[in-house]
Amino acid sequence: MRLATALCAAVVALVGPALAAPNVSVDPNAIGKPPIDNWTTFNGDYTGQRYSTLIQITPANVNQIAQQWVYKITNLGGQRGAAPVIKCTPLLVNGVLYITIPDHLFALDARTGKELWRYDWVDHGGHLIGQRGVGIWKSTVYFLAPDNWLIALDATTGKELWRKNFADARKQYFSTSAPLVVKDHVIVGVGGDAMDMPGFLDSFDPVTGNLQWTWWSTPRTGDPVLKTWPNEATSQHGGGMTWMPGTYDPELNLLFWPTGNTNPVFAGQGRPGANLWTESLVALDADSGKLKWYFQVSPHDTHDFDNTTAPILFDKVIDGRPRKLVSQAARNGFFVTLDRVTGKYLVVKPFVPLDYYSGLSPQGEPIPIPDKDPSVGGSINIVNATNWEAPSYSRRTGLFYVNAVEGLAIYYLTDDSAHPSGYSGTGATIGLSRRVLKAIDPLTGRSVWIHEYPNLNNAATTVGPSILTTAANLLITGDDQKNLIIYSADKGDVLWHHEMTANQSDGLITYMLDGKQWILAGAGDSLYAYSLNK
Amino acid sequence: MRHPFLIAISAGGLALLAAIAISQETQNAAPPSNAPKTNTTPAGGSRAGFNGTPEQRAAATRVFLGLGSEPDKAAAARGAPIFQQNCAFCHGSQAHGAEGPSLITSDVVLGDEHGEHLVGFLKSGRPEKGMPSFAGLPDDQLKDIAEFLHLQVEEVANRGTYHVLNILVGDASKGQTYVAAKCMSCHTAGAFDHFASKFRSPDQLQRGWVWPTRPADKSLAITATVKTADGATISGRVTQVSDFRITLVGSDGQTHIVDRTPAVDVQMKDPLAPHQAMIMTLKNDDMHHVTAYLETLK
Repeated sequence: MRLATALCAAVVALVGPALAAPNVSVDPNAIGKPPIDNWTTFNGDYTGQRYSTLIQITPANVNQIAQQWVYKITNLGGQRGAAPVIKCTPLLVNGVLYITIPDHLFALDARTGKELWRYDWVDHGGHLIGQRGVGIWKSTVYFLAPDNWLIALDATTGKELWRKNFADARKQYFSTSAPLVVKDHVIVGVGGDAMDMPGFLDSFDPVTGNLQWTWWSTPRTGDPVLKTWPNEATSQHGGGMTWMPGTYDPELNLLFWPTGNTNPVFAGQGRPGANLWTESLVALDADSGKLKWYFQVSPHDTHDFDNTTAPILFDKVIDGRPRKLVSQAARNGFFVTLDRVTGKYLVVKPFVPLDYYSGLSPQGEPIPIPDKDPSVGGSINIVNATNWEAPSYSRRTGLFYVNAVEGLAIYYLTDDSAHPSGYSGTGATIGLSRRVLKAIDPLTGRSVWIHEYPNLNNAATTVGPSILTTAANLLITGDDQKNLIIYSADKGDVLWHHEMTANQSDGLITYMLDGKQWILAGAGDSLYAYSLNK
Repeated sequence: MRHPFLIAISAGGLALLAAIAISQETQNAAPPSNAPKTNTTPAGGSRAGFNGTPEQRAAATRVFLGLGSEPDKAAAARGAPIFQQNCAFCHGSQAHGAEGPSLITSDVVLGDEHGEHLVGFLKSGRPEKGMPSFAGLPDDQLKDIAEFLHLQVEEVANRGTYHVLNILVGDASKGQTYVAAKCMSCHTAGAFDHFASKFRSPDQLQRGWVWPTRPADKSLAITATVKTADGATISGRVTQVSDFRITLVGSDGQTHIVDRTPAVDVQMKDPLAPHQAMIMTLKNDDMHHVTAYLETLK
């Protein structure tokens, strides 16, 4: 019945007199390549670096860039009472931009910002907390609805081709992610931690939508890793959602996927053990979904430290030997650099002040101090240091850039029984939260420079938005006073800023179109397009 | 500029700060105090708390989470003793599971709205899995059990319904010693008389003393002294600041907006800085002791 309603409700709205929408098609072999005149995946390429080789906009001419058009989302009504906020990273193919908010996908003309078509979904459950964007393969766009539908659309017309439901919204699974297209796989992760369900990652056939494989974030019957859980039942209610897109190394054919918090969220007493593979970075074979290695960044998490911040892939020469590495500025406040072939750690080091761990395990995993767990009387610990907003790695500077928050909160346990369920906790921030942009050397975990954002409203523990770097030594990101700011990536000097109508809320992209370098920034309900004034 | 969390307190007697982390928005929301003025989507549990009653907060969180229809609380209350007598042995007193499975994520429970499926299910049971038939109970009692189960799901999944437990776990006499040793260099004798009367609940008291609200009379406002490019000095209460601009209200009530060019010097001062310093080293036990002590000052 629910399905029937949804079938009637999903519509494509063609706007005004039909604009000549270019035929959109992308060569599957071009997906994930360094972005120049297209932006074909959530992170632009498969590395997650969000680093552009474009150099038309430079420190010398950056003060000549100006806003060229703005696209504002209007006439959609509220999103269950909340205003629409663009939290996606746009894709760009053949001059067509694809942006999303929960339940809605928009195709825009990249030259003018004019809407070409819009796809509207009427959800039946799921959370409308955000939508990160679409995936694309040949001439098909893949969009996730909040109530866990994978929807395939014609990239030129917006006409729906097929849809597939992959998780039960009644169990509080919900979808916000951008599908990651790798070879002939559409990789789809899922969110939802209100009801103690297990996380999973699905791979679908891009043509038929048939399920190719599923990887579960917690172990199934017979798996030796079950020893990190008290029993199978807790494992199968143990969380580990896969709600942010991962990254991919074509040479290794490995997906690097971050997994979310353990369930029950704040109450760990019912699940003694490390609780694998929640709170981990896992390497999976892209064709089979088989686990190659894992590294658990937050063993036995009790603070909703979703380990879902982007794992960035990069290569360095260490002691004369080329190394394939992966780094993460984790939400639990640790900066982690691993060998991405083996999963062995090189660096595990706090990048915000924290005192909740007693040391590292032989594998390099932080060992949490039990007294720092949420308690009935309240327990002080850090707020989330980072979140889903994308960091960046510059191949020019060799530095890793992340917006972070340094702050504290009192965490309370609201269910101290032997069998807690759901969140089972809550809390309150205390003190001043410091918002910082950090440039971190990924081989030491140390900050090379730090920019502290002045803030009066106690930072609201807001994590700063996504970051983009370019080969012209630019670093682009926003503050929480509505400014889009361009810094020098090597030193952190402010070179340019522009005040928008809201804080930057989405992933930034840059590309060449008609000989000009563009920078796009989403802020609240509006998408801003900048280029050099000529 | 008042702290949003304290707006919540004063507005609604909010039993609890909304869920600390809306997983994907902790991101922007983190603990409950996310400012409604930022661009962050005021996620779930926290939004309704700003100016609503606990019931409104629970209802708004229900909408945000996309939970199904609201359980009938009166029926659930009738169903509670029947569940405890007939079902809790296997499924636990809150249906979180015991010998038998948790029912919070049960397809049968979640597929039911108000007993239309569950009543029949309970009548037939699931003998192949060891669950007996409850056909001996009348339909209205089975329906009450169904509502009880829906309420258990609600109390797990809807974090807008959460309440702290009894947070008074400290030793008041140790708290008194801590206050005497650490607080009196700034605060005067008698400063804490009737302190607990200012708060609606111990958790509000605890947060209120650890990180005081900035009162409406602006006495704890952040101030700044700004030296402008042409050599003038402006002092006042800061109402906005970024890398590029600072806005102050002077003692004369005038608003000054200054662009922060390299020649402009800004020195900000926060009267709560000593509390910030205390927070950075505050131990959980000391916090509990002081809260227990202050709770006695009514």
